[in-house]
Order: sequence, then C-alpha cells, then structure tokens
Amino acid sequence: MDRRQFIKDVLLWSAGATLAIPQFRVLPSVLAAEKVQPLLAVAKGEDYFALVSRVLAPLGGMGNFVRPGDKVVVKPNIGWDRNPEQAANTHPQVVKALVAQVLQAGAKKVLVFDRTCNEERRCYANSGIEKAVRELDDRRVRVEHVDRRKFVPVKIARGKALTEWEIYKDALDCDCYINVPVAKHHGLSRLTLGLKNTMGVIGGNRGSLHQNLGQSLADLATVIRPKLTVIDATRILLRSGPQGGDVKDVKKTDTLIASADPVAADAYATTLFDLKPEEIESTMAAYRMGLGEMNLDKIHVLTA
Amino acid sequence: MMSRSSRIPAYVWRRFGQSLFFALFLFLFIKTDYSGSDELTYAVNILFRIDPLLAFCAWLAGKTVIALMLPALITLALTFVFGRFFCGWICPMGTLIDGSRFFFPHGKENFTRDWRQLKYYLLFFLLAASFCSLPLAGYVDPFSILVRGFTFALYPALDHGVTAFFTFTYQHGPDWLNAVTEPVYALLKDHILPFRSMVYSLSLFSLLLLLIVIGLSYLERRFFCRNVCPLGGLLALVSRFSVLRLHGGSAECNKCRQCRKVCRMGAIDEERNIATADCTLCLDCLALCPTNRIHFTWGGERTGVQATGISRRAFVATLTSGFVVSLFLPSRPFARRPEPLLVRPPGALAEKDFLGRCVRCGECMKVCIGNALHSTWLDAGFEGVFTPRLHSRIGYCEYNCTLCGQVCPTGAIRKLTMKEKHATVIGRAYFDKNLCLPYARGIPCIVCEEHCPTPDKAIRFREVASINNRGESVILKQPYVVDELCIGCGICENKCPLPGRAAVIVTSEGESRHAGYSLVDGY
Repeated sequence: MDRRQFIKDVLLWSAGATLAIPQFRVLPSVLAAEKVQPLLAVAKGEDYFALVSRVLAPLGGMGNFVRPGDKVVVKPNIGWDRNPEQAANTHPQVVKALVAQVLQAGAKKVLVFDRTCNEERRCYANSGIEKAVRELDDRRVRVEHVDRRKFVPVKIARGKALTEWEIYKDALDCDCYINVPVAKHHGLSRLTLGLKNTMGVIGGNRGSLHQNLGQSLADLATVIRPKLTVIDATRILLRSGPQGGDVKDVKKTDTLIASADPVAADAYATTLFDLKPEEIESTMAAYRMGLGEMNLDKIHVLTA
Repeated sequence: MMSRSSRIPAYVWRRFGQSLFFALFLFLFIKTDYSGSDELTYAVNILFRIDPLLAFCAWLAGKTVIALMLPALITLALTFVFGRFFCGWICPMGTLIDGSRFFFPHGKENFTRDWRQLKYYLLFFLLAASFCSLPLAGYVDPFSILVRGFTFALYPALDHGVTAFFTFTYQHGPDWLNAVTEPVYALLKDHILPFRSMVYSLSLFSLLLLLIVIGLSYLERRFFCRNVCPLGGLLALVSRFSVLRLHGGSAECNKCRQCRKVCRMGAIDEERNIATADCTLCLDCLALCPTNRIHFTWGGERTGVQATGISRRAFVATLTSGFVVSLFLPSRPFARRPEPLLVRPPGALAEKDFLGRCVRCGECMKVCIGNALHSTWLDAGFEGVFTPRLHSRIGYCEYNCTLCGQVCPTGAIRKLTMKEKHATVIGRAYFDKNLCLPYARGIPCIVCEEHCPTPDKAIRFREVASINNRGESVILKQPYVVDELCIGCGICENKCPLPGRAAVIVTSEGESRHAGYSLVDGY
C-alpha cells in the first residue's frame, strides 16, 4: 500500500466512520435521543491557561478526544505577524494549555503548525505561540513550519466548489485533529472561525478559494474533520480583520467555546459578534451538507 | 624575523588565517537572515564596512563621511604597516581564487606587467566618477561580486540541490532511510540552508561575473588581484609605503629564482626584489627559499617595481574621463521622469544619494525576509544595475520588518525604527479594473483587502449591486485604495490570486523619500 492509497483509505474510512460513530460518550441520555443534539461548552474567565481545562470538562475532558499513544495535531491560527494583544492569532496561552492537556491525555506526538499568510518565522515569533508551546519543554511536542513536500493532492468526493485540493499530510493521517481558531472579523466572510481556520492546512493558491469561499470551506470540512474545535474568543477583533493591528478594534471577551461539532462551534461563536449563524456563508454551506448543527436552539450548550 | 627553521611553515599559518576568515565570511553570510528577533544579532555587513574602496567611493558620492564605513580606515592603517596583507590573508575573494588554483595549471612565465596598471586606472576612474554622481565601484569591488554571486546564484543552487535530494528520499525512499535522512535535512535547514527557497533576478549574470573573476586566473595566477581589483589597487598605493615588508634575495643568493616562480602575485622581479605594491604576504617564498634568504624587515630600502606605471598625463586623463562621462547622464529620459515601477526599499535615500551610496553588495536582497528585493537591470541607468528594487509579484515588503536598513553598510537604506517603517511610503497600489475579479467578472475575491497590513486598512471595499458574467444579480465587494494610508508594501500585488499579472499593482508614486512630486516634471 503506497502513501497515496493509505491517505485515500484514511479519508474514505474517516468520512464514513466519523459520521457513523457518535463521538460523544459523555451523556448516554443524549445519545439515546432520536436526533443527536451536539454538545457545546462555553467558559469565561481571565486565566486563559486554566480556562482550557474548564471548557473541556463538560465535554468529558481531553481524555475523551485523545487516547494514549495518539498522534495529535493542534492547529491554531498563526496566520499573521501580530502580537497577542492585536487578536489576529490564537492566544498563546490557549494553545499552550491545549497542548498540555493533549500531553496529559497521553499523546505520543503533538504537532503544532499553521500555513501562515505573513512570513512564517515572524508569525510564529510575534504570535507568542512558538515560545509558549516550547515552554512546555516536552520532547513529544513539535512546533513546526510547514514543509511544502507534505502537501498531497486529495480528492474531495462530496465537494461542490472543490473536487480536489492539496492538503497537509500530517493533518490527514493524525489520530486526532484539534482545531483552535481565533474568532475575528473578516472582510469577505464577515467572520473567520473554525471552518476558515482550515485554510491553514491546505496548499495551493489559497486566494482563489475566495471566489466561492463559503462553499469551498464546507467542501474542505468534508475531508478535514477535527475531533475537537476550541474557538478562542478570549479577545475578539471587531473590525479590520483578519489582520487587525489596532488594539482599539479588539474587545476583551474572556470566552472559550469547545465542541466536537465544528458547525455548532462556529454558529455559537457568531453570536459574540451580534451576528446570526446564517449570516456566515461557510456555516450555512456546511450545515446544508450535513456536517453539523447550526440552529442554536438545537445545540446543547453547557456553561462551565 | 621568520625563517624556515620554525616547525610550521609560514604559509601554513597564512592558509589557516585565510580559512578562518573565509569561514567567518560564510558564517556571517548565513547569518544575514532573520533570526527570530526584529534586530540582527551579528554585524553581518562588517566585510563591506572594512572595504576602503567602497568607503571612499560612498564618501565622495555623498560628499560626507559616513560613520558606518569608518572601520575601512582600520584596513588602511594596517596596510600602512603590513602592506597588502588584506589581499593575501583576509579577502574572501582572494581565498576563493587561491582555492580554485587547481583548475588553472600554469606553465607559462609568471611575470608580466602588461595589465598591471589597469587596477589603478579603474581606481582613479571610480573615485572621480563617484564624486560626479556616477557610482560604479560596486561593479568591480571584489566583495560585491562575491556576495552577489553567492546570494543570487550559489546559495539558491545549494538549497535547490539539497532539497531536491531530500525530497527524492522523502518521496521514494523507504522508512528506514527517511529515519536517517530527514533529521539530517532538518539540521541542514536549521543551520545552513536558507529558510525557504529564494529567487533572484540577474542570478545567472551575477554567477557569470563571479566565474569570470575566478576564471581570469587562467591567464595568470590571481590575475584579478594583480591587475583588475581596484580595492587591491588602493591597497597597493598605500603598501608602497608600508613599514613591515618582505625582503628578497641578495647578490649572494643562488639566483635559483624559486621565489619568483612561486609568487602568486608576480611581485618578485629578475633581481629577486619584492615589490610591496604587489606582495600580498602569502609567505610562500619565505618558506620555499632554499637558502632562507627572504625575511621580514621593518622599514629599510624599498626595492622592486614600486611605481604605479601610470604617467601623470594618464592619471589626469583617467580622472577627467570620470568627470566627463557624468556629463552625459542627464541626457537620459528618466532624468526627467523616473521609471514608475522602480520601487525602492523602505528607508532608501532620495534616488541620487541612494545610487551614490549603494555599493551593490546585495546584502539587503540576501536579508529580505519576503524575497521582495531584487537587482535592478537598466531601469535606473547603467549605473543602477544591481541596486535593489521591490518586485511585489515575486515577494512583498513585510510590514514589521526593518532588516534591509539594518544590513546596508553605507546607509543607502536608512535603518528605520518600527514606527518609522510603518510610516514610510515606498509606493502606492492601484487597481487594474480590467483584471480585478469583482470588477471584471463579477466574482468575489478581495484577498488584497484581507492582507493589507495597515491597521487602518489602505485597501477597502464598496458593496455594489452588480450582474456577474452569468447574468445573475449579485452584491459584490469591490476593492479600492485609500492613497493616504497605502505605503506600497506590495502584499496586495503579491497575494492577488490571479494566475498571471496581478490586478493590483504598486508604483513608486507618492514615495516619501521624494517630498511631494518634486521629481516629476510637471507643468
């Protein structure tokens, strides 16, 4: 079996299996219901490191997503050469705490990376993420720059706008993919949340996705399926996104949102900006493809 | 007094010294890169700052003493003591030429003076021309040729070769092989190779120039150093008066002329006198003299051919030609209207001063984190070749980066603070609505707006009801530039997703180094 075949198999298997097997083992009563109500946890607090374990607790903790010996990818938004106060990247403490949780759950290997928009090294440094994760000083963790050799062409069988795209190998063949976007304003898509964060694991001319962004992101969501989405809304960029640069555009919200349902996580985060989930095209497109729940009244929100 | 009786031959020390300085050169070359902090940690440009030729040319061009270049005086002072030791011990170009000598076996007589004056003519011409706003020193300065050849051609070639090899093993090799090769590749990437593959305009031309300099050794050993190098010429002028010098054979020696035969600079004449203007203190003769006749002396009688061989008339004519050539420069069209696509790096001085000070060392292009700076060809005249320009479609100027100003050895690109950088306008973007998707085809895009780095975005959009090419009514976001906010970084042009030409283009319009529109000939 060659590498390409392996990836195809993984994709087919995961496409089928993740849809078929419920991933929530927390509340059997919920599972018993005819239609599964996705769980979503929300936590507020000023200690962002501690906030991560608090928001995961109602979902059964990290142990519910990461099994001992797993290869895990933690994918923050490190897209911009901006500092944490400017709210263009995921908060370093959130990333650090998540990685710490993943390690505690017994992961064999944790990879943190993003395909950045600004120069890679500047983004990794200025975002504070590289330093924060390295502080954990654990040999199992690697903060890596994207290696262009690792983008492999992947068929997107269910895609409507995209039928094939290059995707980062490590994001595909890990045991657990954890998406850690930062919630912020975006000129074209209004907001960038979990689904948009997937742009950081794909290759090619990403700008061309903008021509049908909402559907493209939903198409990508059929093949890149996070087991867990943690949306960093500790501070949110209200204008001049996705880069920002002026702290006047940043609002402190001290919030983390976590869910196994990527669409539900995005839908809920939308409300922080006083917008409705249906105003975000990618949320709508993904919902229509059955990739998750966007109706807020059908999401089981657990406040931690 | 040194002699062959010492256990280690003198030339071994010289070779050790050469290797050491060459290693230092390579180290600083590799370190001419972003290191994780906004400020560079090493004085990576020091090689150019100890070059008295470039210093004098830049000082004459700017009619001022540039403090950054003061270390060049140390080289001169040491030359007064030791002669052309710099050429024999320190100059990495000299070391490279020496190192490549095995490609150029010599059977012919090793002492012609035919070309010897060329370096002096070049030197005088360059100095005069620099004074008259015709800066050409960077074309023939050995370090400039060397660093350009390394930066634009050799280093990218090394990267390409290594990466191709490890990509092959990665894609086709078995796991056990990758377990070995991948860590090696990671190590090379961390310490030797460029962070990412780089491209440079004029790369092959720069390589050719470097190869020519080395290849000239086919004619004579160290042909370039003996005859062409104007820096060598300047040091030769000074070393005629050097205090410490090698003293050749005397009447009593065996006249075996072994010394003359081994001299790489052809500095020893029939009578075994050693010309200090040519001797680079390689010490080969010292070690190889069978009778131990050659030794160092302090002061004493000057022997050998010391004169430059240039007549007073030729000297004056050379200086004059430097002045005269400069008179023709303003006859060119861009003297009235500069090439609008010629965008200079942030912190670049006004064009005339910039050209005068720029020594074409290529350091800014080496360090440019966005691979945005490239060699100009003829857009700024024949005197502007190899000066840096921004090629936004290839790379963009990173908003928070100030590295080019940090490495510039002459201050042709000023060192900017982050705050100054953010306010420095190098040009301005405009949209080509015939290409831009929301205008031309009714398709959403605004990747440019997304990437525009000014906190108050210089690229914004209007929401416009329109009909797309399929006849559907759509609300489109059509981008536009706010001139007062645009600094010309070029990220919009760079990231424009169109496959060919970008629909947003940066020109030098409004650049802050020229106040207002004073450059442009209006009405």
